[in-house]
Amino acid sequence: MNAATSPTRHYFIIWAWLAGLMLAGVLLSELPIPKVAVVLLVLFLSSIKALLVALYYMHLKMDRRLLSFIAVAPLVLIALALGVVFSSKLIRL
Amino acid sequence: MKTASPTLASTQSIFPTVTGIPNGKLGMWVFLASEVMFFTGLIGAYLVLRISHPHWTGPEGHLSVPLGTLNTFILIGSSMTIVLSLAGQERGSLPAMRGWLLATIGLGALFLIIKGIEYAAKISHEIFPSTHVFWSCYYTLTGFHALHVLGGIGFNLRVLAVSFNPLAWKDQSHRLELAGLYWHFVDIVWIFLFPLVYLL
Repeated sequence: MNAATSPTRHYFIIWAWLAGLMLAGVLLSELPIPKVAVVLLVLFLSSIKALLVALYYMHLKMDRRLLSFIAVAPLVLIALALGVVFSSKLIRL
Repeated sequence: MKTASPTLASTQSIFPTVTGIPNGKLGMWVFLASEVMFFTGLIGAYLVLRISHPHWTGPEGHLSVPLGTLNTFILIGSSMTIVLSLAGQERGSLPAMRGWLLATIGLGALFLIIKGIEYAAKISHEIFPSTHVFWSCYYTLTGFHALHVLGGIGFNLRVLAVSFNPLAWKDQSHRLELAGLYWHFVDIVWIFLFPLVYLL
């Protein structure tokens, strides 16, 4: 494997995926399907894009596991915080 | 066992640490974790307001999806150029490193120009943060993000300037990786802001 050119090609492929997923999200938002489905699908696509950037551009895939833990820690806290916010809203409703 | 990235391996031998991760890089990741919490607070507030507001007008007819899409393309492209800059550094090619970093700075500036055009259009139509809760959220979310882009451009410019000083660069070349991490984070934030504000 050519060490000089292979990473460059790899980064271009990731970029193509990111651009493709972004366009897919834009097109999905225009489709006449229920709003809830659009929201879930578009946010799912955004999560995939964020994962691609973190794993391949920020090198989390190859780096020390400790960095992955640091990256995931706020997501756990966010899930807890949003869980509390939305559960209290549901209770009020 | 996981293999450390080339950049990590190269700096690790110079700065051995308990974690095996250079302190600067570890610090940047902890900082980014705190930034995730910051933006989640803003986005969470936006979501709660949006869900609970009975007459949510939303962005329909006021935000330009083509402009937002173009800006997303630009930011995604800049994420690639900065990682190519790092790849250039790892190959030992300073011209490639500088070229891709300059491209990243240019794309970041273009993003801000387009954002400025959008703001100018809103203000010319007398749409201010006080106009509606949506616009309050719009200006807050995109404004803070734009400030982060501006900060990233400054960081990248600093790294680019240092690369022209061989003595300083010998000690500070690892900062390109840190600048890259920050820039990718700014890209990830936009990846979520764009659909939430422009599309949904």
